[in-house]
Amino acid sequence: MTGTVNLREVVLGILMEVTEGEAYSHVVLRDTLEKYQYLLKRDRAFISRVTEGTLENLIQIDYIIECFSKVPIHNMKPLIRNLLRMSVYQLKYMDSIPDSAVVNEAVRLAQKRGFYNLKGFVNGVLRAAARGMEDIVYPLPQEDPLEYLSVSYSMPKWILSRWLEQFSFEEVEKVCDSFQDENPVTVRLRTDRVSREEIIDSLEEEGCEVSQHPYLDYAVRISGYNYLQALTAFRQGWIYVQDVSSMLVSEIAAPNWGDYCIDVCAAPGGKSTHLADKLKGSGYVEARDKNEEKVSLMQQNIDRMGIINMVAALKDATAFDQDSFHRADIVLCDVPCSGLGVIGKKQDIRYRMNPAKQEELIRIQRRILSVSQNYVKPGGVLIYSTCTIGADENQMNLKYFLENYPFHLETIDPYLPEQLRCRTSAGGYLQLLPGVHETDGFFLARLKRNDE
Amino acid sequence: MALRKIRELGDEILTKKCREVSEMTPRLKELVSDMLDTMYNAEGVGLAAPQVGVLRRIVVIDIGEGPIVLVNPKMTLQEGQQEGNEGCLSVPGKAGVVVRPDHVIVEGFNENMEPVTVEGQELLARALCHELDHLDGVMYTTRVEGELFDTSELEEEPDAEEA
Repeated sequence: MTGTVNLREVVLGILMEVTEGEAYSHVVLRDTLEKYQYLLKRDRAFISRVTEGTLENLIQIDYIIECFSKVPIHNMKPLIRNLLRMSVYQLKYMDSIPDSAVVNEAVRLAQKRGFYNLKGFVNGVLRAAARGMEDIVYPLPQEDPLEYLSVSYSMPKWILSRWLEQFSFEEVEKVCDSFQDENPVTVRLRTDRVSREEIIDSLEEEGCEVSQHPYLDYAVRISGYNYLQALTAFRQGWIYVQDVSSMLVSEIAAPNWGDYCIDVCAAPGGKSTHLADKLKGSGYVEARDKNEEKVSLMQQNIDRMGIINMVAALKDATAFDQDSFHRADIVLCDVPCSGLGVIGKKQDIRYRMNPAKQEELIRIQRRILSVSQNYVKPGGVLIYSTCTIGADENQMNLKYFLENYPFHLETIDPYLPEQLRCRTSAGGYLQLLPGVHETDGFFLARLKRNDE
Repeated sequence: MALRKIRELGDEILTKKCREVSEMTPRLKELVSDMLDTMYNAEGVGLAAPQVGVLRRIVVIDIGEGPIVLVNPKMTLQEGQQEGNEGCLSVPGKAGVVVRPDHVIVEGFNENMEPVTVEGQELLARALCHELDHLDGVMYTTRVEGELFDTSELEEEPDAEEA
């Protein structure tokens, strides 16, 4: 018999790539699942669950391991560290697996991967953890709110302390909590060629559960499918996977018939195609990106989706393009950001980001803003958006922008569903918080160029 | 170390029933050792004598916990059920879903003809069933639910991790 796939070894491989290397977990997981497409649904689910669960709870898991190990987590051999992490996740969070199985599999895996001499260590730490799991003393919110949030929700402290300056403890806890929730996929229904009912019928026929999103009538949540790319509605281009926060960008851009739009950081193209759809074939959307591969992917998407009023173009948003000067009715500036609003979907972002990287991002964001504002014609609008939470990359950038360029904020209330209207949206911008709002964490603002 | 040629699906010998071993001879001892070499070389977890062209009731198994050699094995208990992918060194590049018992006990003899009992769960149970089937000329492909999958693109690239 050939060796069968050892699911735990697959997970360990992914964790090694993600926590010890530079790879992003959603990419590695996606590639791995694609590679193991022939595995049973149950086995694929196990790989996803243990990988995502371990990463989601990494700080908490490390806290638990250090309760039972004399060796600090960061002094362990990388392979042993990750083996213990995924095993502790199973011990704590997967009741269906007997503790003894978790421990035995871990010991076996340690041996198989050449750590014969550490079998005893793995065995000892995991047995102690299995026995003592219920008696662990965790930090308390009233004694140390920061430590409490960090260990309970596995969030790095530097992010939490910034959020706590800006939002209430309750709000921050809700955001952290939402990152742990299941994330149903939201799709935009493209009803230009087929009706909404036909699309939903097709999805349901192929086993999807479909439910309406409360904010936008063309947004629905789908679940229950095995492999999204195989759905008829996906292959036909009737649905586009996109979070509602992203859809709101095109809502507040509110293009008029025939508008010329430039999306300066367009890849993968969701907001641009949405704009093009909203223009109903009129006008023109130029979806720019600086990455050649992404541009050709976008062009493929445009062709597959049969969009005629959109083109993908290879252009760097930080480089001034003379030909676009004062040309566009709408400019989308969806800048590269720290991504702290989408931690729920990309678990490892929080461990990758740090204050220095964020500083660098802010510099790029301001550069892109200062270049892109040139393209907005008098009376035209610039939509600024990020998928992050926190003033540094959002409100502070708006402040910088308004101080330096002839723009003013314009209310976005007319374009928003009623539930989202608030004091700041009346003023022209909105910080969406997952757990508080039913979207990813996201920031969007509508800036109008003063008439000359 | 001597490697033997692994017979592939379509070879008549894989459909034949094997004879019992009445006495351990130096020739058969060499066969056992070659079977282990061949199995490890092919990165398999089990191999039966007919797969290297010898119609005797001998199997070798190693699921990562050390080698098991079984001569004249007989299954004395099987219970439970597991569903999972299975592949065979005689059917390279393919895998398929096979339902197997989840817990089995096999009695037989080791390479020194001393009686042994092997109890297996999960993967070991699956491997025991798979190899014992070979001794009766049964290929897993006849037990597959649904279709065989291509695993050619699934070959693991060599690991570059520190040890």
